[in-house]
Amino acid sequence: MTPGIELLRFITRKLAASLPLIFGVTLISFTLTVHLGPDPAYAMLGKNPTAADLAAMQRELGQDQPFWQRYASYLRRLATLDLGHTESSGEKVRDLLARTLPVSFLLLAPGFVLGTVLALLLAMFAAWHRSGRLDRLITGMSVIGMSLSFVIIIIALQAIFGVWLGWFPVRGWEVHGPASYLNHVTIPTLAFVLASIGYNTRFFRAMLVNAMTADHVRTARAYGASPIHIMCRHVLRGCLLPIITRIVYSVPALAISGSLLMESHFSIPGIGRVTYQAILSGDQPVLMAVVGLSAVVFAVAVTVADLLCRLADPRIRLA
Amino acid sequence: MSFARAACAAIAGMLIVAACEHPGGSGHDPVVYRHAIDGIPASLDPAHAANVYSSTLVVNLYDTLFRYRYLSRPYELAPNLASGMPEVSEDGLTWTIRLRENVRFADDPAFPDKRGREVTASDVVYSLGRHFDPGTRSQGAWLWRDRIAGLEDWIDAGADPDRRIPGLYADDDSTVVFELTEPYPQLAHTLAMALSAVVPREAVEHYGREFGVRPVGSGPFVLEHFDETRAVLERNPHFDRGELDLAAEGHDRQRHAELGLDVLDGETYPFLDRLEIHFITEPTARWTSFVAGEVDNVMVPPEQADRVLASRDPIRFTPEFERRYHTQAEPEAGFVLYGFNMANERIGHHPDEHIDRANRALRCAIRDAFDWQERNDTFYQGLGQIFPGVIPPFLDAFDPSLDTRSTDHDPQQARARLQAHGWTPETLPQLTYGLEASVHQRQMFEQFRARMEAVGIPQNRLRSRAFASFGDFSRAIGNRELDLFFMGWTMAWPDAQYALQLFYGPNAAPGANSFNYSNPEFDRLFERAARLDEGEERTALYRRLNEMIIDDCVHIGSLSRTRLHLWHRHARMLPDREMLGGYFLRFVDIGATP
Amino acid sequence: MTRGHAKQMPHRPWRMLRIDHIAMIVVIAYLAGALGVWLGLWAINWAEITGAMWAAPSAEHWLGTNRLGQDIFSRAVAATATAFEIGVLVAVASILIGGLAGAVAGHFSGSPLDELILWLKGTIDAIPFYLLVIAIAFALKGHTMAMHLAMIVAFWTTTARVVRAETIRIGQAGFIEAAHAGGSTPTRIIFRHLLPNLVHVLLIQATLVFVAAIKAEVVLSFLGIGVQDSISWGLMLAEAGQDIMAGQYMNFLAASLFLFGLVLAVSLLADRLQDRLDPRTRHLRSVGIE
Repeated sequence: MTPGIELLRFITRKLAASLPLIFGVTLISFTLTVHLGPDPAYAMLGKNPTAADLAAMQRELGQDQPFWQRYASYLRRLATLDLGHTESSGEKVRDLLARTLPVSFLLLAPGFVLGTVLALLLAMFAAWHRSGRLDRLITGMSVIGMSLSFVIIIIALQAIFGVWLGWFPVRGWEVHGPASYLNHVTIPTLAFVLASIGYNTRFFRAMLVNAMTADHVRTARAYGASPIHIMCRHVLRGCLLPIITRIVYSVPALAISGSLLMESHFSIPGIGRVTYQAILSGDQPVLMAVVGLSAVVFAVAVTVADLLCRLADPRIRLA
Repeated sequence: MSFARAACAAIAGMLIVAACEHPGGSGHDPVVYRHAIDGIPASLDPAHAANVYSSTLVVNLYDTLFRYRYLSRPYELAPNLASGMPEVSEDGLTWTIRLRENVRFADDPAFPDKRGREVTASDVVYSLGRHFDPGTRSQGAWLWRDRIAGLEDWIDAGADPDRRIPGLYADDDSTVVFELTEPYPQLAHTLAMALSAVVPREAVEHYGREFGVRPVGSGPFVLEHFDETRAVLERNPHFDRGELDLAAEGHDRQRHAELGLDVLDGETYPFLDRLEIHFITEPTARWTSFVAGEVDNVMVPPEQADRVLASRDPIRFTPEFERRYHTQAEPEAGFVLYGFNMANERIGHHPDEHIDRANRALRCAIRDAFDWQERNDTFYQGLGQIFPGVIPPFLDAFDPSLDTRSTDHDPQQARARLQAHGWTPETLPQLTYGLEASVHQRQMFEQFRARMEAVGIPQNRLRSRAFASFGDFSRAIGNRELDLFFMGWTMAWPDAQYALQLFYGPNAAPGANSFNYSNPEFDRLFERAARLDEGEERTALYRRLNEMIIDDCVHIGSLSRTRLHLWHRHARMLPDREMLGGYFLRFVDIGATP
Repeated sequence: MTRGHAKQMPHRPWRMLRIDHIAMIVVIAYLAGALGVWLGLWAINWAEITGAMWAAPSAEHWLGTNRLGQDIFSRAVAATATAFEIGVLVAVASILIGGLAGAVAGHFSGSPLDELILWLKGTIDAIPFYLLVIAIAFALKGHTMAMHLAMIVAFWTTTARVVRAETIRIGQAGFIEAAHAGGSTPTRIIFRHLLPNLVHVLLIQATLVFVAAIKAEVVLSFLGIGVQDSISWGLMLAEAGQDIMAGQYMNFLAASLFLFGLVLAVSLLADRLQDRLDPRTRHLRSVGIE
């Protein structure tokens, strides 16, 4: 069997195994947001509605149907990718996602990449100088970073850079090119890096320290190889799996939760903000699309993580 | 010599060419105005334009039959799509409105040949009729329901636009006729609201649910871009309403001298090539954007009032701000107030007269205990106008001489009332105070509770219920679950009836009468006033109704917030943020920065 | 291992101990503050309007007042009690549920029961954290414990995952099989043999969840869906966001510092706890490598 086909079978098997997961996610989310969530009917009525108006609106929104009927029709629409229209403006949910997902990606990608790379570098320094001054300093700063609330970081940065110094725009996303992109993305990136670097550094450091106790590492050190060589060649190899797993797994969590607070505060038209507004107003088509999307992204992330681990370490079977 | 002549010829030639290059000055930069509003419109479908943010955009993308004069205050109706004011029959039941000619919808793929066709009276009929189709999810149906002859039967038969409504039809291509079931003097006002804007059937059917983001109208602008942060509008090349007549729009040499609008008199409008409307809800961001020059106007956040004002009474801006920007201080067309749920027998109406009076005393005591001035100072920088009843200062019917005791902070009288009717911490009912979960609302609740405690109403008698979404809050009010709540009311037209309807019995929850006030005498007078045209008799009735609700202590109120506006000097305009406004954007011009 | 590595002992072991003790003292101080609030000794009038709007710090109001004239210091102290309530409740509940679920899943590893628990775990993990918590808080609208329950539902999964892995590891050591062969019922095995060995894991998880719960509450209250009836640092920060606009920073500083202090102290303690209790690093430390 060629490796290509084997790979394909692996991926298919993994994704198929995720189906119960997707089912579970959609069921739970549907129950929470549609069945038990906020009632959009009242918000959509005019100034002086009658009881008849209310009943008509509820009928329009399908609220008079039993739970399983609504869930079944939802699953059907999801399977055919008929995502419907948002309740607020009538825009196609598909168009909404196409508009907001790239913005969220552009917003979070630099912070994510920078945060991860910086954390790795700091962790490597810390692990190499373990128990030394640098390690103490980096570990200490990591704990401080972990203790800072994202909310505090955002308020502080907005106050300092936006209001006092006025160097960067405090809101909006008017991106026409590289210059305006850098202008708008700097503060969010900074906020994100500050918020995540503590956790990441500590985790990577722990993994690296663990890997450094391996025999071949100590041998290399004894032979006087350069720190960079040892770090990249030997140590990183040893803990590649947990690091890769963690990085890949943090992407789905990041996509919605990470962007939610930032986009709300900086008025950036991304998916996080849209989702948050949808939760509050009970905009069900949007919510269901986002939840379905995040379930799929999660399943893909699991598959990719497994795949990368296998690529990194051929000893792991494609179980 | 020949060289010099050749040089002269060359120079002359260049000059001639240069002069020919820009005939009539057509090579100028686009005229752009960047407007900031403090909210986000959800949908641009006129049927959903029930708040000021959607209205601002809708009235500039679509045409309404009437609008309000640009500069006149108090607001005055003027024809917009209509060619003149409506002809009303003697009995007030038949309204004939003639339309302007040669008004065209914007070009759009929805039309068969992609060209916008002429607007006809059938479009007006269709636009109003679609409010009654459940699929439209209209927020404005209540404005015309039960008023038009044969409308209910037509709705019951399926609200089919191809079937004629007996009381609303197109007499010919440019005449719309209303046949009403009873006199409705406010009809013209309803036809100046964004909700009544005229839409083409082809576009509605073509775009379906997406019509809310794909507007096709006959207004001064067309939509180029729309998302959660801003909308970009471009001039509609087919829009032709002639020139701006400043005098007709209510221009006053003295009041409006500073605005620099004279130069625009007689010019064809709209003057802008591009109009950007930025949606900035956070006060910090709004202020910073304005100061940084990212937007051309700002509604000053209350927290900044200290910085821009030299005095509050009378309101005067600092010389620095007067010099740098245009300034304006205007009361809102609306008000905020507290309301009681009269349907709860423990605090509202009660069949037993004795208990009913005790309840009334309790409500009045709570009203006396509340401190409007403190509320004004804490949350509105002391700039709000406190007035008794619900007829706000910007209206003609407002009575400046009305007794203000109902808005005075009088803890002594509150205690006296409580004592006189046997209200003790044991006998007091537990009241549910509903609020939307925001920082200000929570703080207002805590402030309210502190004032109650000061007159002997203990903390545990006031239970708060916070709602994260406005929909849930509305539902709780609609289900009569809340006993006390703070709300705002925006006037959709300049007539006290729009405020007094808050107490009209048949409007009880889920309707506008969130207080579930039920007073047959009030209802009788209200109905009588509803049929009258503007005049002394009607104003007298309004004031009588106002006094009735003050006497019954149905509400605690009210306060009209004062809006402070600043705009950059290069913008020639008089902005209007209120529900009746938005029309001003077509008259905005950007001149050279002085 | 070998003697040579003893040279890698920390230069100043007493320095580490100092930070350790400081953190402990700080946490105890916070706890004392919270206890005082619960016992009604101080800060009970945090909602009372006792001063002018945005008064500067004075003898009467140590950190000044907020927009309404409420004492910021009282509010910050009262918020400590809220923080402990949330942190302790969520931590205890999620490690109990997560611990039990993880132990059961790990013990019956591979069985349908395990698959079910894994599926449940995976499903909850797949839903973005804030979406889940907000949605649950909404579904339980009005309930004072809505936010707490929502957080418990979200946090039990990490504990379960760790406990399950640890249970499997212990299971491989063989003495579980011995107990099973000796006739003990699964329940007995779980409670008698497994859980005592899992205590260190649970303890570490408890501190981590405690911190995560407090931080999550800040975000939720900031968004308006968190604490409703009492005061919390999140609510203070939400107020502070507006106050800063008006040039008033005390609210922000007070809430930030109080929050930061507790979270930092507990995080440091969690660190130390992890070092001492985790058998792997314990092993490393005993031979002087750390």
